[in-house]
This record gives sequence, C-alpha cells and structure tokens, in this order.
Amino acid sequence: MVYTRKDVSRLTASEKRRFVNALLALKRRGEYDEFVRMHIDHYVSDGEGGLRAAHMAPSFLPWHRRFLLDLERALRRVDSSVTVPYWDWTRQRSATSVPWTKDLLGGNGRRSDHRVTTGPFAHATGNWPIKENVTDGVFLTRDLGRASNPIELPTAAELEGALRDPVYDTSPWDSTSTRGFRNKLEGWGSGRGSAAWRNHNRVHRWVGGNMVGGASVNDPVFWLHHAFVDLQWTRWQQRHRDARYLPAQPPRFGDPQRDRVVARHEDLPPWGVTPAQLEDVSGIYRYA
Amino acid sequence: MVVGVGGLPVGSERPVPDAGRARRAPGTRRRDVLRGLFGAGAVAAIAPAVAASRPPRAGGGDGPGASGFDLTYRGRHLVGAPVARSAAAGDEQWRVTVDGRPLHLMRRADGSWLSMVDHYRSYDTPLDAARAAVDELGPGEHLRDPGPGTAHEHTDMGGRHGLHP
Repeated sequence: MVYTRKDVSRLTASEKRRFVNALLALKRRGEYDEFVRMHIDHYVSDGEGGLRAAHMAPSFLPWHRRFLLDLERALRRVDSSVTVPYWDWTRQRSATSVPWTKDLLGGNGRRSDHRVTTGPFAHATGNWPIKENVTDGVFLTRDLGRASNPIELPTAAELEGALRDPVYDTSPWDSTSTRGFRNKLEGWGSGRGSAAWRNHNRVHRWVGGNMVGGASVNDPVFWLHHAFVDLQWTRWQQRHRDARYLPAQPPRFGDPQRDRVVARHEDLPPWGVTPAQLEDVSGIYRYA
Repeated sequence: MVVGVGGLPVGSERPVPDAGRARRAPGTRRRDVLRGLFGAGAVAAIAPAVAASRPPRAGGGDGPGASGFDLTYRGRHLVGAPVARSAAAGDEQWRVTVDGRPLHLMRRADGSWLSMVDHYRSYDTPLDAARAAVDELGPGEHLRDPGPGTAHEHTDMGGRHGLHP
C-alpha cells in the first residue's frame, strides 16, 4: 500500500504519540544510533578526495531519500501506522509552534547549556541518551533561532528560488555549483556571512545544538526536516516534467569530479541502489 | 505489500535495517575501524600526540597562510598547525586541537573550512572554523577524545573522512 507522509501540523494526538513511541523503541534497541553513525560516516567534504554520496553532491537528495526510507521502514516495523511527518519551515516558523511541542519533539534548549528539558526526548526522561556524537555531550541540545546571533528560517521565496531552477544540478557537482536545484536546496552559498547559508543548511543552523554538527541525526527533527526537503524534490519534478537527475553519465576521465560523484545509473553507497531508482517513489509513499 | 521501484526493494519487510546491514557487509573492515575512530570524535589526521610534539609557533597569526595558532578563545585552548602541505591547495591539512582534543577539519572546494561540530556552513580559515566549533560547545562539553591506541590510525587516514578508500 502506498502510505502518506503528513504535514506535522496536521497530525492527530494519536499519530504524534505513535510516531514518538516508535522512535523511542528504535532508540531502546540501539537501531536509532546506527542511523546517527551512518550519517556521520558518510559526510565527505568536496575539498577533499573520495566519493561524496550524501552532501555537497548531486546525490544529496537520493541519499537522504533512501536514508529516510530506511528509518521509516524501521519505524513501521514497530508500528505499521507510522510514517515520517514533514516540517514545513516556511509556515511553522516559531520556536513554540509544532514540532516544538511537549507532545512531539519538545521545545528549545535551556539558555545555560542548550539542553532540551521538555518533551519525550528530554534527557531527564532517560529515553534519549546521546551516544553517537562528535562531542562528549550526552543530552539533546537545541538553540532555536540561534539566540546569540539570531538567524531566520528560510522563507518561501528562498525555497521558490531553488524550485524555479529547471536543471537538477550542474558541474562541478559540489558545494560551489551556482546553478541547479540541488545546491540551491542543499544551501551552500558562495558569499560570506549568514546570508550565504540557505534552505536545507540554514534550517540545520536555525535549530542549532546537535543539528549543527555531523551528528545532527540525534535530533529527531532531522527526519521531519529532511522529509520536507524530500518533498521539494517531488515538487520540483512535478514542475519540471522532463528534467531528470544529473549527471546522467559519470564525469569523463580527467574531470576532477570523476569517481567523486554518483551518476544517474551508478550505485549509491552504502545501498547499491541508483539515483534513477530513487527518482520515482510514487509506488511507496506520497505527501499530503 | 512490497512495492519495488525500478528494482529497489523499498517497502519490503526485511527485518534488518540497512544501516545495520551496511555495518556487517563484507569488505568494510576499514569502515569498522573508522566507526571506532569517529565514535571518538572524527579526527582524521589529527593526532594529539603529534600536535604536542610539534608545537606551532606560539602566538602565530590567524590569517590564511599563517604558520599556526596557539591561543585561548572563550576559555578554550586552541592549537593549530598546517601539516604535510602538498602542491595541490586541496591537500592542505591542519592539525587542530581544542583543549588538547583533536578537532577534525574538512576542506570545501572553495578553500574554506568546516568542522565536525559545525557542519552546515564553512569558514575562511582553520582558526575561524575552530572558533566556531568552540561557539557550539556548551559549558564543560568537550570534543570526544579518541582514546588510547588510535592515534596511529588517525595519521594513516590521510585527512580523509568517510568510507571510501
């Protein structure tokens, strides 16, 4: 059956409870921390050698699509009614609105150390110890809006700027690509200062705390954020009907990006599926 | 119901998460090594022992091309020095520590720097990236120490971070 991913602001009390409980079950079993580790392990930057699958690369979108599908599959083994909701940060822009409520993800971190103290993922519950991390911090942290140096969430207009681009991605297929939907959505800017960090990247920074680092998956909002990013890929496809994932073919011999990006029909590590196989998910889920 | 997309077995009921399966896949011994290392702070090519034995010039500048830095920022001791610079600008690597613990820095294609602690933007210099990492640390929070016996592995990793040989 094709299942539906919903706007988090439209979940019923029961849907919220079931989503939270399924996450806590995965955490108890140790499965959740495998997802955190996997994300850390796959962060390869574009100024260094090696294949980039997850970030600063065309496969940013299919990699995270498959990553979400894996998490969602694990959640649905716990409770088959659960799907990953999406957080529309162009609409839910307050630090006190959904998803930052006690019955869902809990609220902002406290001022002194950014520790989240409310909701099901607060350290005091004992249910959400941070184990896979880039620091020795053991509790979930957030700094919504970045109090010390405030930033705003991306606007609908900024997101529209990405959706309007009719080309999926362009050479050099990395964080310096100035044209193409993928990097405009991923959000690597070319300038300096806060304005250079757009869309996807900017949301990570707005949430702050764990979401700023390589271990961002520790904050369950990661999945709600990336579900919304994934929805943008679907919207972009609907708007640009003939456009496909690029590059269609691997870069030629001699191209510095040879063996460093995943072309349309190449295997995406670690799964061995191709971006082409992930372009159409209408047989698996849809967005409402 | 199993719904495959172009041969993709998504939606199947296999009781093994792919993240877990990847861990057990053959040919991933290096990944397992990395897993241990990254559990210890993702510190490719940044060995505290080396940083200690080759102190950068105290009070070094902090601009691009500077020889290194050794200073206190917001109560944290920052030490950084370039290592093994090759002709290719992209191969420039720095060893940076915060309070003696290695901070893994990555290079962006535009020459800027980012750290594991602050991953969704980048900075002009290693020192800027190190300061930004400190900004993200809470009171009493430290970079994860790699622990004993791993320093050698770090230097073998050649400044890379990731799974790909």
